[in-house]
Amino acid sequence: MTELVLCADDDEDILALVTLRLRRAGFDVVTAADGEEAVRVARERRPALAVLDVMMPKQTGYEVLAALRDDETLREVKVILLSARVQESDVARGIDAGADAYLPKPFKAQELVAKVEELLAPT
Amino acid sequence: MTTPSLSEAVPAVTSRLRAAPAAWTFLGAGAVAILVYFLLPAHSDVQSIYYVAIGAASVAAIYVGATRNLPPGERLPWRLFAFGLLGQVAGDAIFAFYEVELNREPASPSVADVFYLGGYLLLAAGVFLVLRRLGGQTSRTAILDTLLLFAGVALVQWIFFIDPYNHMPFGTEAERLVAMAYPAVDVLLLVGFAQLLVGPGGRTTAYRLLLVSLGLWIVADEIYGLNVDSYQGGDWVDALWLGSYVVWAAAALDPSMARIAQPDRRRLPRLSAARLTVLAAASLAAPVTLLIERAAHHRVHAYVIALGGAVLAAIVLARLAGLVRAVEHAGLAERLARREAEQAQQLLKYQNQQLVELDKLKDEFVSSISHELRTPLTSISGYVELLLEEEESADKRGHLAIIDRNADRLLALVSDMLFAARLQYGRLELERQSVDLRELVMHSVDAARPRAAAAAVTLHVDVAEVPAVLGEPGRLAQLLDNLVSNAIKFTPGGGRVAVSLSAHDGTVCIQVSDTGIGITDVERQRLFERFFRSQSALEAQIQGTGLGLYISKAIVEAHGGRIGVESEPGAGTTFVVELPVAQ
Repeated sequence: MTELVLCADDDEDILALVTLRLRRAGFDVVTAADGEEAVRVARERRPALAVLDVMMPKQTGYEVLAALRDDETLREVKVILLSARVQESDVARGIDAGADAYLPKPFKAQELVAKVEELLAPT
Repeated sequence: MTTPSLSEAVPAVTSRLRAAPAAWTFLGAGAVAILVYFLLPAHSDVQSIYYVAIGAASVAAIYVGATRNLPPGERLPWRLFAFGLLGQVAGDAIFAFYEVELNREPASPSVADVFYLGGYLLLAAGVFLVLRRLGGQTSRTAILDTLLLFAGVALVQWIFFIDPYNHMPFGTEAERLVAMAYPAVDVLLLVGFAQLLVGPGGRTTAYRLLLVSLGLWIVADEIYGLNVDSYQGGDWVDALWLGSYVVWAAAALDPSMARIAQPDRRRLPRLSAARLTVLAAASLAAPVTLLIERAAHHRVHAYVIALGGAVLAAIVLARLAGLVRAVEHAGLAERLARREAEQAQQLLKYQNQQLVELDKLKDEFVSSISHELRTPLTSISGYVELLLEEEESADKRGHLAIIDRNADRLLALVSDMLFAARLQYGRLELERQSVDLRELVMHSVDAARPRAAAAAVTLHVDVAEVPAVLGEPGRLAQLLDNLVSNAIKFTPGGGRVAVSLSAHDGTVCIQVSDTGIGITDVERQRLFERFFRSQSALEAQIQGTGLGLYISKAIVEAHGGRIGVESEPGAGTTFVVELPVAQ
């Protein structure tokens, strides 16, 4: 069974790029254009992993992350924060908030796919 | 037992005498002379002449002392003393002449009175000159104090020493007025004496002697004034006047008289106990006088006492008002100062708050610029990467690679500029851990190999085992990348870049040398400045922002290390970084 990945980013171009890369790597992808939508889609579709942009309207990536961690049925969803905010403090904040990984933008396709595969690999 | 022969003893005594300070010698001789005065037949001609002689000798001594101890410009007070006392001696001499030659006293008033009274004025002038040179006599308080003293003394003098002449059977009116003039001028001497007593003058020997002589003179005058009917030449009171002559001369002969008009800093606190006593005595003059008159069943000078009391009270009031005003002034100043301090503190608090907010704002700003620039770059890089994977035409792949490379450069530029901006705002903060530089150097060199190969530059690396340093691996990698890529950038094809790592004396040393274009001495001074580009780099059109070395230096210094450079234009450059070994 192919695993479902939720991608959320308010930048259409980047969202399309991430979606394309993950589909080519063999994942099913659902998308969201802002934080609220991301939470709604996550509740409906129950993805195995979410790639979240940090700076999104309505709800930030951190808030979406918190919402997922607060929801018993979604607590186990793996989360990768993808952000153009690359200061050490930003990265540390993401990891502290419970993200499984923090990838800086711009990212290399290979890097992203490798990280997703690593997190979804059966332990 | 042997006794020294006379021929030895005489020079010994004379040399000892010469060594003895003139002042004390004169004082001793004067004491003996005064004793002899009373051994002479009382009221005799000899005694009168002898009296004049002691006075004359003292006057001469004062004159000599002033000449010897003072520079020409400062002798005036002592000249006044000398001439003032000379006036007394002249008066005495006239009396002596009358007694010896004519066997009677001169008629009163006589020319002797002119000398006497003139002499008093000169003495008083001398005292006031000394006081003036001591300073501190012109403030409002000092003037009020002097007035208070004057009023008190004048009141007492009038009641006990001047007014009585009005109620005595006395010769002519002129005679009475002259007799009253003496206690009147004594008021001046008394005020001067009191001022000297509480004044700021350093208490040198001469100062003390001057006080004693002045005091003796005044006391003698007052005793004479009380016994004006019974006084006769040769009375014991003469000892006081003679003593005053001798002590005055001793004061003039003592070398410390040169410093008599120098204030003593320790005496500057103005309200000393002595001063307070004198002022209290002066202000109590009226009631005490009244009580004494009542007790002695004297005729009470009600009007004079009432007037004197009123004047004294007014002066005391003025003095008090000055004090109260000064206290109020000080209180007001203090309140103002306190309010200002409070305001300053509030302002400081406010400014601190503003700074904290500004700091937050600046972090926010740097962060969002970074975000805004990186977002479009993400799309460019991502889609170019996608196209590169799919494009089959070598030409187009080449073009895409150029876009990709430039997107990377733009990204590096954005990173450097943001890093530099953050350095501008504050210190670089590190998350330190133990770092193996060997690994970092190898990694950095490996990453640079493709670029070196593209530029036809050979890349050598020579790393020894070195102790770990304490630092942030990411920053140290950034430093190494900067230095290595710089070296490659500035080295023409066929050149060589060498990276070495060594350790000595508690430091780890990284050296990056190239055989590149080099830099001049002048430019070397500015090499680590922000946005600095060397002339040769500009001419050779080597791209760069001028931030790499600025950032490198900041990283090295944040790690407690040093960075330096050696270069020879045209021959190459070596960067040396020294980092302290982890303790």
